[in-house]
Amino acid sequence: MRKLYLDKVRALVMRGMSEADLLSRLRDSIVNLDFDGSKNLAQEAISKGVPANEIISKGISAAMEEVGRKFEASEYFLSELIVAGEISKEITQMLQPYLKGAEVKKIGKVVIGTVKGDLHDIGKNILGMMLESAGFEVIDLGSDVSAEAFVEAVEKNKPDIVGMSALLTVTMVEMESTINALKKAGLRDKVKVIVGGAPITEDYAKRIGADAYGKDAVMGVEICKGWVKGRS
Amino acid sequence: MPFFDHLEVCNSSELVFGSAKHPLSYGLGLKVGQGEVVPEVKFFPRTLPERDPEGFKAEVKAITADLLDRAVELGVEALQIEAEQSFMETRKPELVAEVTSLQKSLMEKYSDEHGIRLGLRVTVADVRDFREGLRSTTNYNLMLEAFEAAASNGADVLSIESEGGKDVFNYSIVRQDIKGVIFSVGLLGSLDMKLLWEDIVDIAERNGSLAGGDTACAAGNTAMKLAGGVGSMTLPHTFAALVRAVSAVRSLVAYEQGATGPGKDCGYENVILKAITGFPMSMEGKTSACAHSSLLGNIASACCDLWSNEQVENVRLFGGSAPQVFLEVLHYDCKLMNTAIRLGRALELRDALVLSDKFNDPQAFVLSPDVAIEIARSIVSERGYYRRAKSACQKAVALMEASPSLNLSPPERRLLSSVKSVLGSLPEDEDAFKDQMIRTFAGKIPTFRESDYWP
Repeated sequence: MRKLYLDKVRALVMRGMSEADLLSRLRDSIVNLDFDGSKNLAQEAISKGVPANEIISKGISAAMEEVGRKFEASEYFLSELIVAGEISKEITQMLQPYLKGAEVKKIGKVVIGTVKGDLHDIGKNILGMMLESAGFEVIDLGSDVSAEAFVEAVEKNKPDIVGMSALLTVTMVEMESTINALKKAGLRDKVKVIVGGAPITEDYAKRIGADAYGKDAVMGVEICKGWVKGRS
Repeated sequence: MPFFDHLEVCNSSELVFGSAKHPLSYGLGLKVGQGEVVPEVKFFPRTLPERDPEGFKAEVKAITADLLDRAVELGVEALQIEAEQSFMETRKPELVAEVTSLQKSLMEKYSDEHGIRLGLRVTVADVRDFREGLRSTTNYNLMLEAFEAAASNGADVLSIESEGGKDVFNYSIVRQDIKGVIFSVGLLGSLDMKLLWEDIVDIAERNGSLAGGDTACAAGNTAMKLAGGVGSMTLPHTFAALVRAVSAVRSLVAYEQGATGPGKDCGYENVILKAITGFPMSMEGKTSACAHSSLLGNIASACCDLWSNEQVENVRLFGGSAPQVFLEVLHYDCKLMNTAIRLGRALELRDALVLSDKFNDPQAFVLSPDVAIEIARSIVSERGYYRRAKSACQKAVALMEASPSLNLSPPERRLLSSVKSVLGSLPEDEDAFKDQMIRTFAGKIPTFRESDYWP
């Protein structure tokens, strides 16, 4: 009887150890930006019956925390933060069927685009990827987006936030046109508006009636997170 | 068509500003690469051609006249003006014809009256919409019509910043994916240019213009912009330097299709191309701070034949219009370089320009004449775009790693080591690489279609 009890305890301890080890390896694999290795370890954890919420909290979230720390400490580049975010997103999608029907809830919805007349969209693309990694649903309208197209997207998707970018001083005026078009359509009060891009300043953002100016993608994500925080 | 399997300039002491192995004479008496550096000035009108075509024409005319007036006041003897179109202008070939014609008429007048040697470069915007495909589309035809309109109305030099592979590049660059960079810039960009430059060279030859070359602005300069300033952690600066090395493979294709230069200013890879082709090149550096910041301000001028300001908005400054002010800055830079040439001290000035930037950033390092020649050699020693791109990358990694003076942070060294390992795992064969990459990107990037590059 006593032997049976000890075997059971030993088995539980071993399982706990192997589970902890597996999640620690998953965490390290994400931190090391190993896409395939991370997916394999996540799959192994699923097959061994590790609860999905444990994989998320002790594997993915722990990894993202470490990657964030490394970025803050100038050990990692922004591009590495993005890659880690993408790995995490993919593993979270793998875990979806094991989350007992509970969808991974999006923290907010953002419509983004580079304004009419402007094709410089890489900054906007980075913001979109970082917002997705942070848990937002992102509707990317692309570049050369007219005020009418922004209005249509807001009507259709009912986002919490609209983000606009521009690189040229001759096109940044389109941001104001878009904000005016949102006002005209009666939508301005339903969304927060954030603007960014090389020629944009805090002062300009205020002048055209935007709610915020994002100096870079990291700041932009923080502002958007602040807006939706505590709302749900 | 030439296939470059050797360097036209093998010795770094011959890679210097103002002198090209294959100099050019064109336009209204302009000589480039023949012992002097010529300013090349460019401006961005405030009027949008889409909204107000008449206002746009009037503004271009006024700026051109302002520039020529300032040139006379300063005693400028030779000048190139570049008209770089916005995509709104390229989409209106009839407007391109009118604007080119009015600029050229003014230039002829000033050349006759004041004896200034002048040239006009017209750069057409790549207006293709990746969603509808890269060839045989309305936008592709509009682009060719814009070239034809410019060439038949007085453009002396035709250029473009073509964007083949840009969608795959944009996906790859923010993920620090060197395989994606080699595929998008080295292979897709080159294949796209091969077809595009057949058409551009044909238009140039029929109209007596020069096919002036292409730049990897959408790749090399996007990486440079993302890398940012000293200490910025957006993208590794070593990675941006590698994108530049691969860009040279791509931009070389214009010359293999019959372009003769002068190469266009924002192709910082032009130093490598000058070593390979011997054609004169335009460059931009500190004088383009009006358009964007870089860590290449001095070194970029070390091998230039035309010295440019990249792009300046037409706003008023205390010293005149911004284009006039920047022409003046360019003029004095050129005077200094030309004086050094006359005094037989060009190499001393070149070396000072190089050393002031070379070891401060990996992007500057790969553009120094000695390193550029090594990268150029690694390109011409290989056949095929993929193998050239891989080789350029491997060489740039090896040179950066081996330099005792290039100060690289631990994250930058980690990046080089990781890229080296990826490069070592790449197949030798272009088809095998192509298959691998198509499996990776097809479906992932909605606008990427194999048939655009392998019709």
